[in-house]
Amino acid sequence: MITLTHLQKQFGHRLAVKDLTLSVPAGEIFGLLGHNGAGKSTTIGMMLGQVWPTAGHVRVCGHDVTTQRARALRQVGAIFEAPAFYDYLSGWRNLEILSHYTASTPKSRIQEVVDWVGLTGRVHSPVRTYSHGMRARLALAQALLPQPALLILDEPGSGLDPEGIAEMRQTILRLHRELGLTILLSSHLLTEVEQLCSHIAVLQHGEKVFDGTIADVRATRGRVALRTRNFPAAVALLREKNLISDSDGKEYIHLKADVPVDAIARALVQAGHEVSGLWAREQTLEDFYLQLVQAAPPPAN
Amino acid sequence: MFFAQLQNELWKLFGKKRTYIGFGAFVLAQLAMLLAFKFTRWQGDFERLLAGNGYLAEEFISALTVAVIMVLPQIVLLMPLYVTLVGGDLVAKETEDGTLRMILARPISRHRLLLVKWVAGMIFAAVLVAVLGITALGMARIFFPWKGLFVFVPGQAFNLLNAQEGLLRFLIAHIFLILNAGTMLSIAFMFSCFNMKPAAATILALSYMFVNLVMEGIPFFDRYQNWFLTHHFRAWLMVFSDPVPVWRIAQSECLLLAATATVFVIGATAFQVRDIKS
Repeated sequence: MITLTHLQKQFGHRLAVKDLTLSVPAGEIFGLLGHNGAGKSTTIGMMLGQVWPTAGHVRVCGHDVTTQRARALRQVGAIFEAPAFYDYLSGWRNLEILSHYTASTPKSRIQEVVDWVGLTGRVHSPVRTYSHGMRARLALAQALLPQPALLILDEPGSGLDPEGIAEMRQTILRLHRELGLTILLSSHLLTEVEQLCSHIAVLQHGEKVFDGTIADVRATRGRVALRTRNFPAAVALLREKNLISDSDGKEYIHLKADVPVDAIARALVQAGHEVSGLWAREQTLEDFYLQLVQAAPPPAN
Repeated sequence: MFFAQLQNELWKLFGKKRTYIGFGAFVLAQLAMLLAFKFTRWQGDFERLLAGNGYLAEEFISALTVAVIMVLPQIVLLMPLYVTLVGGDLVAKETEDGTLRMILARPISRHRLLLVKWVAGMIFAAVLVAVLGITALGMARIFFPWKGLFVFVPGQAFNLLNAQEGLLRFLIAHIFLILNAGTMLSIAFMFSCFNMKPAAATILALSYMFVNLVMEGIPFFDRYQNWFLTHHFRAWLMVFSDPVPVWRIAQSECLLLAATATVFVIGATAFQVRDIKS
């Protein structure tokens, strides 16, 4: 649905996106993660033809965004952080205005979308009277108007309260389930991304540092909690035997790839260590993300 | 689709309260000038001027004469301010508010979007000038009779026209005033297409016109008067001359049209190549 090939964007001397190659398969909920300034919004801007790439190609819905922007965006809906509207006009008038930038949209379609997002009672009130949650619903309504196949959500949970975030999560799942949309979700809410997305990519200083499925993230051998009387000596032994890659110095060890947990137990017991507890902890997206971000080198520019 | 999009731009433009500041200011200024003309020495001085030139004051202190007197300072002082205010808002305000990102997430081309916005701006300029003329004439008519027109004309000192001819010239002058307003709006619109705040676009456009006005007034630049837009902005007053200098007016209007097209192209090019970010 989206294909980025060796995409690059430079603002002056700053390289905002560096050689990014990425593919968002149709029918997936794809998470785009990264710290502030990692290049997520710039990448989304390039997907929507709002930011011109310095190098590389962006294809959306099978069309090159740089040369065939109108075709590429015909079936795309987008929601940005802090959605902006014409506050002095009604929600309905806002939807009419925005829909006409895509194609002529019948009133029945607008009403259908308004009903779907649950804004029926207030759609004729001025947007300035809307709560944050209602603005989020209006943003969703405008994104759904062109009957999109692809929905791009840039920090949609920003500024929402916990109920709002939970509602947003349910809505995204509903969109995926009922309308079969492909969804690209850029977010800082790692728990939400973990619950919603099947696939993620992590950007750091404009570079892709991970691209894989959530199942890959969970399957990545993570931390193992070790309870023993002499933790430093046990860690030294495991390092010597080349079974672990890292340790937090107090409680956790990181196993090397393909090392089973029972190999740790066997090695420690054979060396005379008293092991009172040893259990593997499934890695969360947050663990994975933080490790990834902390391990990545600082930007060259 | 173009007309649906244009209609939407007009909804956006005329839905904002600040769009009406100019209309309100015109009405207030006209009322103040009308009262000043009627109830201070202004009218007496004007009558003495007419009498000194051998004309009957009661024949030419009319609704048309007072309307032109009222329109003149507003064209010079207020109109540039309000058209550049709206012109500077057209693109830059949408960028600042974040609505431009919402629009440009849709398959409309940037050129098409700018064209729609510019046409909406030109409609605003036309409406503003029309309202200025209608209210000036309407308010003047409340206090003064429907008689001939006495008007100061550049290069001719003054001219006298009967009521019918005066009204026709007044209407034609407003067509040229619309072009003046459109050119001013287009300059602000061009700046608005660059990456800047709406107020900056308005100030730059006003500054450009002010610099034109100042330079035009310096004797050294007398021979370069054709290069200054403010020189051509005065073509509307030539409509009241006898005979009407058609070629001089046509030359100025063509130049203003060319200037408008040029600034539109510059603005559109700048807008096309820039990145739209939050």
